[in-house]
Amino acid sequence: MSSVDAPVADASRRPFRGRRLRLGDVLLQGVAGAAALGATVLLGLIAWKVVDGARPSLSKFGLGFITRIAWNPVPGHEIYGAASFLFGTAITSLVALLIAAPLAMGIALFLTELSPRLIRGPVTALVETLAAIPSVVIGLWGIIVLGPQLRLHVEPWLHKAFGFIPLFGTPSSSGASVFTAIVVLTIMILPIVSSITRELFLGVPHDLKEGALALGATRWEMTRGVVFPYARGGIAAALILGLGRAVGEAIAVTQVIGGGLLVSWNLFSTGDTLASKIANEYQSATSRLQSASLIYLALILLVFSLVMNVAAQVIVRRVSRRMGIGVSR
Amino acid sequence: MRKLRTFVVIAAAAALAAGIAASAGAAPTRADSTLNGAGSTLIQPAFSVWGPAYASATGVEINYSGIGSGGGISAITNRTVDFGASDAPLSPDQASACNGCVQIPWALSATSVVYNVPGVGDTKLKLSGPVLANIFLGKVTSWNDASIKALNPGLSLPDQKITTVHRSDGSGDTYAFTDYLSKVSSTWRNQVGVNTAVNWPGGVGGNKNAGVSAVIGSTPGSIGYVSDAYALQNHLAKARLRNAFGKYTLPGITGIEAAAQTVKSVPADNKMSIVDPPATKKFAAAWPISTFTYIIVPTTSKNATDLRHFIFWALSPKQQASIKKLIFAPIPKVVLVAAEKTLTKIHS
Amino acid sequence: MEAFATFAAVIAVGILVVVVWSVARRGAGALNLDLLTKDPVDFAFGNVKEGLANAFAGTIVLVGLATAMTLPVGILVAIYLNEFARASVRTGVSLALDVLNGVPAIVIGIFVFGLFVVGHGQSGFAGSFALACLMLPLVSRATMEILALVPNSLREASLALGVPRWRTTLSVVLPQTIGGIVTGTTLAVARVAGETAPLLFTSSIVGLRTSWNPHHALQSIPVAIFELSEQPDPADHARAWAAALVLLLFILFASLGARWLATRGRRKLTQR
Repeated sequence: MSSVDAPVADASRRPFRGRRLRLGDVLLQGVAGAAALGATVLLGLIAWKVVDGARPSLSKFGLGFITRIAWNPVPGHEIYGAASFLFGTAITSLVALLIAAPLAMGIALFLTELSPRLIRGPVTALVETLAAIPSVVIGLWGIIVLGPQLRLHVEPWLHKAFGFIPLFGTPSSSGASVFTAIVVLTIMILPIVSSITRELFLGVPHDLKEGALALGATRWEMTRGVVFPYARGGIAAALILGLGRAVGEAIAVTQVIGGGLLVSWNLFSTGDTLASKIANEYQSATSRLQSASLIYLALILLVFSLVMNVAAQVIVRRVSRRMGIGVSR
Repeated sequence: MRKLRTFVVIAAAAALAAGIAASAGAAPTRADSTLNGAGSTLIQPAFSVWGPAYASATGVEINYSGIGSGGGISAITNRTVDFGASDAPLSPDQASACNGCVQIPWALSATSVVYNVPGVGDTKLKLSGPVLANIFLGKVTSWNDASIKALNPGLSLPDQKITTVHRSDGSGDTYAFTDYLSKVSSTWRNQVGVNTAVNWPGGVGGNKNAGVSAVIGSTPGSIGYVSDAYALQNHLAKARLRNAFGKYTLPGITGIEAAAQTVKSVPADNKMSIVDPPATKKFAAAWPISTFTYIIVPTTSKNATDLRHFIFWALSPKQQASIKKLIFAPIPKVVLVAAEKTLTKIHS
Repeated sequence: MEAFATFAAVIAVGILVVVVWSVARRGAGALNLDLLTKDPVDFAFGNVKEGLANAFAGTIVLVGLATAMTLPVGILVAIYLNEFARASVRTGVSLALDVLNGVPAIVIGIFVFGLFVVGHGQSGFAGSFALACLMLPLVSRATMEILALVPNSLREASLALGVPRWRTTLSVVLPQTIGGIVTGTTLAVARVAGETAPLLFTSSIVGLRTSWNPHHALQSIPVAIFELSEQPDPADHARAWAAALVLLLFILFASLGARWLATRGRRKLTQR
């Protein structure tokens, strides 16, 4: 979460006026200020460099790039578009969030309300440990362990049971599919969403909860009526942050998604996301337009993550100001 | 005092930025005893022999990274390496983007068609160019399709979906494969074309030759293309292809050398294509997806002497013979002459 | 509801156990001293591929350099925001840092590629810089939080005694925060030690020999695992699992250790 925004109105922190300023003070403030300036400038530099790199593709395709389903690097026929990858990013991240969100809230509830005090600490540590596993290791596990299991058992079963829904079409033949990517992403965003939600639930004032219980509400009614509304804003921010994590994940997704261009509702088909396409192709892009188009994909990704991040931060700051609690992570 | 503070902030920021820029722009104190190269995974096995041999002969160490031919072209264009390696020759646009590079053919190998079909052993499957194109176009979708059965009487083919596997990175093998398919199928030529990366009609992508080998090995019903050395290394089943003369051949030194006879003279830019050799008796044993592979170097660089020496060494008959066991046929005399002629263009 | 919540927790712990168990079981078998001390060897048709010493050495250099780049800047940023800045500046820069935290690692990779690699070549410096961009928000946020915990009375007492502002900050306040900074940096290190995407375009074209020289591109454990994971040979997978096991153990040890230190340090600081 955001850093503690402790109000620093006390005079001892404000720059002193009329006090003899020493060279050391000026130097420290100067150098530290330069660092702060640099950190802010870095963000701007990233944005500028990405826009600059995408320029050939931006000027050639404009905004139409975003809605076009095409990716043809053959010289003389070169045409590129982001739509397949936007679709891939949307379907993998949203479905992963759809699955992870209730699970994460369940975990948070378990850890704050239901679990015996003894196992609370260890289980919390275990869930946080899931967040610490590097994405390349999850991807390795996805290729070697998860993929074959999904291909051999889960996908055929899902297809047999729910094949009438277009989502569960022909099972994948190689274990690499959008579905495997969804499972991998769910595993990756689960700990983030659950740890933020857990802290939110911990911040709900006791008297509110006990008041509801005293009035005869069941535990679920209390949760639904007191905890959720109270933590509503924070939960929204947690979901947005989880979504942002899923959208930006390149490595684990590229390992398990199979690299396809076609837009298909079948979760078992191969696909590609914005991030995985960049990871796959950027190093071997042989034409300037192809490189620029890949950077255009990165630009879309950057805009996505900026918007989501700022939205989440704004929600968090507004919520914590309203509630008067400092939400620190 | 505020002005002084502002001044110090800006000065410190400038100093910080200058420091970072200086350390980034500082020319790396690269020991002249290393040559860094990247690119084709087809030529990569050769470095397992050439690397140690050259190091013990001259003390110059060769660091080679197999990142795909597309990556090699991109890396040398950006000058992030000393030399690039690619099975695909540079297109005119790529040549101009590379700004003063030459491509030198320095080895000769093949792309093989590999498959994983339950019940069909190694080299038992026979295919023709048009059928192969239809498979990758998505027109032939099942292994017991009539067109495949017609080429393989007596072979029991399962009723299983065909999964085509292609390279997801920029690949010289893709170039050779699509070059071949474009020559044997006008539909392919018009719909897809030839390049290190194309718009594949469906299929699963694998990263580099190793990645494709991995996918084929673990996906029943799959078919794909890999450099011949990888088919051997990973014990993948190889398909026989019907060449223009009408014989079903396999990749191997014989098939490659027969195909290389296509080259009568080498054009000025060294760009050669030996896929789909003509239908005359001379090419009876030819493997139709053979390919030269190139080393791409700038004409002027500070490693010019080292590069010239290394390439000359690699072109020598002894070194060409040393990699024969890795399915590299020695380059024909006419190509050797052209290659050495191009070498003279490299200078410091 | 309670059943579902418990079920969810069981699933989460279950997934963790399954993944860690996979890594441990498959990795332990291939983990030996050779993996850490021998370089990979390129045998075209053979099975013996030796070790991953170049990756372990490279990760140490890359992460070490990244920490050296981040630490001073992160601490200075935190000092400025906490000790000198107006509230509006603090909000603005904090927001910028939090947003920087959310920039996908692959975009950072593209950024550093365009900035440092084009025309110059890949290098350990470029890779470290990319990792440093990821570490900066974490280190500065952690330092800010711990600086805020230092009681004001300490600052006021020092200033009242006539100690100049800069000396107060550096000699009185900062030493109180060392524990917190160490914790924050350790967590940041644990995070970037496993990052692949920023290194993919900045430090991936590497040789097989172990090198400690950041002027060249250096191999790293996550990139090695990434490459090995897509190989067909089960022996390569085994080495990937073993490297993953070492990486995981390091990250777990670092994260859990840092968190334990953090709770202890925070308790000590707030007890004053």
